[in-house]
Amino acid sequence: MKRRQLLTALAGAGALSAASGRRGVGLSPLHDCGCAPQIVTAKDKPPGAAAFRDVASKLRITNMRVFGVTLDERIAQADRPYVFVKIETNEGVTGWGEATLEGKASAAMACVMDLKDLIIGSDPMQVEHLYQTMYIGSFYRGGPVLGSAISGIDQALWDIRAKVMNMPVYEMLGGPIDPRGVRGYYHADAWTLAQARELRDKTKAAGVTALKFQLPDLLECVETNAKIKRAVAHMEMLREGLGPDLDFAVDFHARPSPTVAAIILREIEPLHLLFAEEICPPENVKAMARAVRHSTTPIATGERLIASYGYSELIDMGVIDILQPDIAHVGGVTALWKVSATAEASGIRMAPHACEGPIGGIASLHVDAAGPNFLAQEICGFVDAGEKNRVWEDLMGFPAMRMVNGRYPLPARPGLGVDINEAALKRYPFQGTRPFVMAFHEDGAVASL
Amino acid sequence: MRTTKRRLPGAGSAVFAPPAAEDHPLKIAEFRAWRVKEPVSNRRYTVVRLRSQGGISGYGEGGAALAGEIAAARGVTAGRRATESEFVRSALRKTPALEAAVNNAMLDLVSRAKNVPIYRYLGGPVRYKARLLAHLEGTASAQSSPSLERAKQQGMQAFTMAAPLRDAMIPLRAWVDLVRKHFADMQALAGASSEWVLDGAGAMTPGDAASVAVALERSHPVWFDEPTGVITQDALAKIVDESVMPIGLGRNITDIAEFQSLLASGSVNIVRPDLGLNSLTKIKRIAALAETHYVGIAPFHNGGPIGSMAGIHLNASLIYAYAQQIPVPASDRDAATRAGITSGLKETGDKGFFALLNRPGLGFEVNEKALDAASEERI
Repeated sequence: MKRRQLLTALAGAGALSAASGRRGVGLSPLHDCGCAPQIVTAKDKPPGAAAFRDVASKLRITNMRVFGVTLDERIAQADRPYVFVKIETNEGVTGWGEATLEGKASAAMACVMDLKDLIIGSDPMQVEHLYQTMYIGSFYRGGPVLGSAISGIDQALWDIRAKVMNMPVYEMLGGPIDPRGVRGYYHADAWTLAQARELRDKTKAAGVTALKFQLPDLLECVETNAKIKRAVAHMEMLREGLGPDLDFAVDFHARPSPTVAAIILREIEPLHLLFAEEICPPENVKAMARAVRHSTTPIATGERLIASYGYSELIDMGVIDILQPDIAHVGGVTALWKVSATAEASGIRMAPHACEGPIGGIASLHVDAAGPNFLAQEICGFVDAGEKNRVWEDLMGFPAMRMVNGRYPLPARPGLGVDINEAALKRYPFQGTRPFVMAFHEDGAVASL
Repeated sequence: MRTTKRRLPGAGSAVFAPPAAEDHPLKIAEFRAWRVKEPVSNRRYTVVRLRSQGGISGYGEGGAALAGEIAAARGVTAGRRATESEFVRSALRKTPALEAAVNNAMLDLVSRAKNVPIYRYLGGPVRYKARLLAHLEGTASAQSSPSLERAKQQGMQAFTMAAPLRDAMIPLRAWVDLVRKHFADMQALAGASSEWVLDGAGAMTPGDAASVAVALERSHPVWFDEPTGVITQDALAKIVDESVMPIGLGRNITDIAEFQSLLASGSVNIVRPDLGLNSLTKIKRIAALAETHYVGIAPFHNGGPIGSMAGIHLNASLIYAYAQQIPVPASDRDAATRAGITSGLKETGDKGFFALLNRPGLGFEVNEKALDAASEERI
């Protein structure tokens, strides 16, 4: 049977794939799966691209590379070597993105390259199509490894798109909402009242308006009076030391069970936190709802969720006040924007997580700047930039991004505003994946860190 | 693959800085608007033209608007860049027709300035052709047939069909049978390959709509549009719980939160924001919401041809977009007016689809003389 006859036969049976049609795409049936009779696969490379012959731009992706970057532990935690993605085009425009994944760097790097066949030869301007190609076309529709790989590629595609348009990405997204930049917060710790007061002075002098702290202990699924009181006393001490004007959030880091979280949340309401983050593990939304229904403290979560689908139950059930997708995991600029758009419809604010490398952090700023429901941006780092300045200078030619009057100024250059010096990358060779830091309770049982 | 080096500006500039306040080529320098009325159908819409400081023009269409609202919208755009769509969405939220017209004009302007079709600026295309849904005029079979004939000549294969209204004296069963007969008659008129959307126009009670939905679900209309005007969860539950008929809703909704409410309650299968009341950028947000519920989007449109073409660009950039509704006039004069505005580009398809145009902006030149001729007022 000739190809055209085969297509006709399939069409007659109502079984023609979307890749077929007037373009005469080369097709072959699958043979090794129960869905073989229903599905034909595109032979063109990249799959499905031939259909867009007449409506694509002239830009084509010619190469995609991935870089693992291991830094000194003073700059980046050992579990998260940076994973950078570079996409090259036939017109010399290149794009950079970040796919850093805690404890799974090698897997994320491999996954980026697994997606290569879907990307090389494509028109980088079709970012939505390529996002769907990677997400739907990968069958599993999510998970942190695939999510991070898609994130790195998607950021690089947006970088190219906006460079071609000669505008920052946030302008392509309809921003800026506030030309002065986007509010941020640093990480901090203080264990005594004196330390908290010293931190307050240092923070105010730096023009910073918000900080984030951790709980003092690991927590079990049922907790003692002593540990609960210690957690509450710690936060009360912070409020007293920081004063009433400085906002602070507390990251529960999914350590408590919903049962324990509910008790702590009840106690800390008078402290008026900016938000309480990951008050319990993220998998069970109904369980989280159980914990938050007694509290008016704003509840934030979402750094471990993938794609906008991952947030819809949280949004529909009205469980949370603030969403915290990570642009290096959620699916890049495309997915972070979609989560922001869906959150806005329910009056939910955005405080994106960003605790990896510089490209993801800067990419987040672009989406933040175009989101009317944006609250604050996390960038892992302390009031004192420390060694980060040196590495940023080396990799990108400018020092670590810092807040001015409590805001991160907007990236000014076309695209994401980041170009990595490949020669500098060689000074930080990839030294393999190391697992996420483990924690154990006193009886040896695994704890949620 | 051949590589041609593209020159990129920007190197050497500040890394982090607020957008420059000085003059910018995309700054809006001029605002014009037309209040258009088609001669026979009296279909009304507003067309806005924005001209940038760099001399590029962009056109956008929204629903009918008052002169005072148009004047206020002019004030909102003054001094703004054509990229600031989020500002405009917020500033014009109380005049949705102008939010649509102004934001769409900005999108056309920027896309023309960047020499790309709107669908590419929006991240597409995700498809190379857009499915068309012909919005037929008339409620009875005889009234709809001129419009249907024109739609068929225009290469369309999917159509809306207005459901007959129920007279209070007609028993429910008789009326449901009448709707069923009307559906069968229209299908026969259009041919076996035709697909239909049953349009309730928000005129039925939820109970009547449920009866129609159950009666017609085995006829497989693509969906049952706006079955009732009672958009509450309880009312809609009557329809969605009693049948498997896909339900389209949203032509009168301008608040995105209302779409979220419909989606979260499982009351809608196709969201239908009106292109005359929601800009493309706003509908993109609604689509992001619908996507997480695996719900399709097919913007409602009963406006002019500039809106139709804008809808096609949007369709080409949204993964869950199903079809773009296109009004098909019964009268030759209305059809000529529409073709005049688009400088001859017709809202036609090939086997039910519109092949995307690979040209900057909307992809055609707007004929201002035709706009002048069709306008009640130019502002």
